[in-house]
Amino acid sequence: MPAQLKAGLVIVGVIAILGLLAPWIAPHPWDTISIRTRFQPPNATYWFGTDEYGRDVLSRLLMGTRLSLAMGVGATLVSVAIGVPLGLMAGYFRGKVDEILMRAADVLMAIPAIMLGLLVLAVTPPALWKTALAVGFVYIPPIARVTRSVTLGLANEDFVQAARARAESTGYVLFREILPNAWPPLIVEASLRVTYAILLGSALSFLGLGAQPPSSDWGLMIAEARAFVDRAPWIALAPGFAMCLLVIGINLVGDGLRERLDPRLKGRVEKV
Amino acid sequence: MTTTGSSMLLSVERLGIRYRIPGGAVTALSDVSLALGRGRTLAVVGESGSGKSTIALAVMGLLGPEADISSGRILFEGTDLLTLDAEARRQLRGARIAIVFQDPFSVLNPSLRIGEQIGEGLVHHNGYTRGAASSRAVELLREVGIAEASAVAAAYPHELSGGMRQRALIAGALATEPDLLILDEPTTALDVTIEAQILDLLEELRARRGLSMLFITHNLGVVRRIADEVAVLYAGEVVESGASAQVFRAPRHPYTKGLLAALPRLEARREPLASIPGRIPDMRSPPAGCRFKPRCPFAEDPCAQPQALAPTEDRLVRCWKTDGLAATQWPKAAEDAPQGRATVAEPAAAPIVAVEHLSKTYTLTRGLAALSFEGWRPVLRPVRVRAVDDVSLTIGRGEVLGLVGESGSGKTTLGRAILRLVDPDAGTLRVGNEDVTRAPQPALSAMRRLAQIVFQNPDSSLNPRKTVAEIIGRPLRRFGIVAPRETSKRVRELLDLVRLPAHYANRYPHQMSGGEKQRVGIARAVATEPRFIVCDEPVSALDVSVQAAIVRLLAELRDRMDVAYLFISHDLAVVAHLADRIAVMYRGRLVEVGAADEVLRPPFHPYTEALLSAVPTIEGPAASRIRLPFEQRRSVADAGCCFAGRCPRRIGEICDREPPPVRRPSATHTIACHHELATLADAPGTVTH
Repeated sequence: MPAQLKAGLVIVGVIAILGLLAPWIAPHPWDTISIRTRFQPPNATYWFGTDEYGRDVLSRLLMGTRLSLAMGVGATLVSVAIGVPLGLMAGYFRGKVDEILMRAADVLMAIPAIMLGLLVLAVTPPALWKTALAVGFVYIPPIARVTRSVTLGLANEDFVQAARARAESTGYVLFREILPNAWPPLIVEASLRVTYAILLGSALSFLGLGAQPPSSDWGLMIAEARAFVDRAPWIALAPGFAMCLLVIGINLVGDGLRERLDPRLKGRVEKV
Repeated sequence: MTTTGSSMLLSVERLGIRYRIPGGAVTALSDVSLALGRGRTLAVVGESGSGKSTIALAVMGLLGPEADISSGRILFEGTDLLTLDAEARRQLRGARIAIVFQDPFSVLNPSLRIGEQIGEGLVHHNGYTRGAASSRAVELLREVGIAEASAVAAAYPHELSGGMRQRALIAGALATEPDLLILDEPTTALDVTIEAQILDLLEELRARRGLSMLFITHNLGVVRRIADEVAVLYAGEVVESGASAQVFRAPRHPYTKGLLAALPRLEARREPLASIPGRIPDMRSPPAGCRFKPRCPFAEDPCAQPQALAPTEDRLVRCWKTDGLAATQWPKAAEDAPQGRATVAEPAAAPIVAVEHLSKTYTLTRGLAALSFEGWRPVLRPVRVRAVDDVSLTIGRGEVLGLVGESGSGKTTLGRAILRLVDPDAGTLRVGNEDVTRAPQPALSAMRRLAQIVFQNPDSSLNPRKTVAEIIGRPLRRFGIVAPRETSKRVRELLDLVRLPAHYANRYPHQMSGGEKQRVGIARAVATEPRFIVCDEPVSALDVSVQAAIVRLLAELRDRMDVAYLFISHDLAVVAHLADRIAVMYRGRLVEVGAADEVLRPPFHPYTEALLSAVPTIEGPAASRIRLPFEQRRSVADAGCCFAGRCPRRIGEICDREPPPVRRPSATHTIACHHELATLADAPGTVTH
């Protein structure tokens, strides 16, 4: 197993486990307001300090892990589920199909991601799953584009012609012949998208359109801590560092998986 | 060769090079010694993996950082190149030692004009001004036989044909008047007729300039044509070296014997091709003894001892049995059935494939790209290429039709159009008893089982994510050929049929050699029990020693399964070994069709004649050589003969204007040419361009 993959899995795994176990391992209640303990810097009782309402930053951070992970992974699943088939079709059929799909993608990409997210969320009451859906929608074009460019090359390979020469269905050609070879770049792209989605989700939460107070989404935590960053920087730093670590972990996993999935890089069998 | 550097221009002494790879090292060269005198040509010949390109890179000083020179010296005019610093080597490179690489399509920078690229070395090494360099570039282009030299100097690489580009590269290499020219497979990417011209040019340049050439190639025919001396490389070792005429006349090392026996020859098309079984040893841990031992039919116990390159009569041979084997031929495998059959399949039976007036045109510019202006009036004028132009042919049951032509002749498009992988524009197409010209793709299932395809490039034809069992098993499942339970048993039978061991079922394509991959491709094609297979250059990407085995396998399958082939190749010699009938294609048209014997003897179509004369042979220089002008003359009307633009026997206006009549020397033989048959039957004198 590549070293990157190991490191990435450890980081993401630890974060995910901490998030899952948050209700049981959080040292303090995450939402109990206590004016007396406001703005306590990190100390023995409150490892990461407390925020403006006297809530334990560490406990909030742990509880927020689930939200951020769900946000990133959920949004990416949405964009992969829609973007990959579209990209496969555009790259395989070329011509009009390609033209229509890619121009539509251009239009979508021309609108800033945050605006698109705002558009979706402004008309309905905010909720986390809607944010995830909106962010996933925003990231369909980049996923579709990467898929298309890989497909363009693979569609000319002779094994695709061989499949056509056996009268295989288009679905078989796309998903069984082409897709397995398109995974390596797609996984890198998708892992990148997970991190972007976490950041964009946080940004939307920051603008008040994602998670709502008193929820402890990392983006929302940073947003709320913004006003006190001169007095109590730890409130914003803790979720910031956590996000940073998660992003690095996911990228390492993506890179490692790409290497792992390539059969050419698996140990060669002994020659007979 | 014990010669010291002084008398030789270049001498490589006991050179050993290894490439570091994750978890070890691969031996590329061990104990390689070569010597090249002034004004001489030394050919280094070897198959893929022999380490031949490493020699070129080592002499040039272009080895990558993973290469590790473990021993030896490279003396150039007595100076050891390996002791020089990077700057000194850079000064030598391009100025005294120049190189021409294999692929003229990727070596030239697409965004610089040809003239600039040729003149670059002059500005760099010889202190020319840009202006002086570009006028010198024009002179050089003229020297390498380009008539419109100044136009070519001003052109960008994409505007030139492959042959032109290779000439330009040679001109560029000659610019700084180097003493040593290294040619690394300079003609491999080119068509035979173009290859013949480039070889003529190199011979001429050598005579005129007294150049010394180190010629690296896998093609024995080319070696015979151009080299004074030859060194045969196997698994990083020189196994035999000597004067090329002698080596070719009487090879001494078993590997050289095998290579020569495996070479398809037009003169001996009825004789079975020999092949060398096995593959080169794993170079991560090369065997201590003779590296050819596992594949050698003459191997004995003492072969396990390291072999020394020892002088024998007129040459050096790395084999202790040399003297005993002097008169022994490479054995012919017992299973060999003659590949070319004496009798042609009966044409009376309904053909398996019948093609009539088939055409396919590609539009190169679409939409706005096709827009041009007549005065101020915009007109859409798309650029079209007729890949297949009014082709009619039939292939009988169990018959092998060889389709020969150079790159761009449309032979691949024709093969794919017959299988409806490309949709034809016009004409009719019958496969089996079914008219499939216009049938929608989903309705082609029956035809798809009947007609299959084997591809040229074994790397691209197998899905790298699937195991051999999945690749071969899929057509079985797709067409329900055997019960699902029986699939793995049938896969093993198919592997056995193509002579691969059963445990290969679990391998991925990257774990096999080129020849093995091609066998899997063939197994996949025959899995559907087809009656017809398009073999699209099935051996072109393979080494000679493997090529022969694949040709033999195809012949055997034809006899056993009664399957017909459309055997597409640019190599007439290979086609001649397998085909019952041969069709010659030029620019989308069939110019000559007939039984193999008829096509290979006069009367010839002028193009067939030129192709035959360009085939490099190991029997020595051909008596008469016909060389085609390497470029199509412009302004040839579509209506005329497709070959008029390059024809060495062009009559005149009539060739450009009128379609040639179809002449019939016999019931089965057609030639499309304005010349009378009697004229075509005359062997013409040497025609020069």
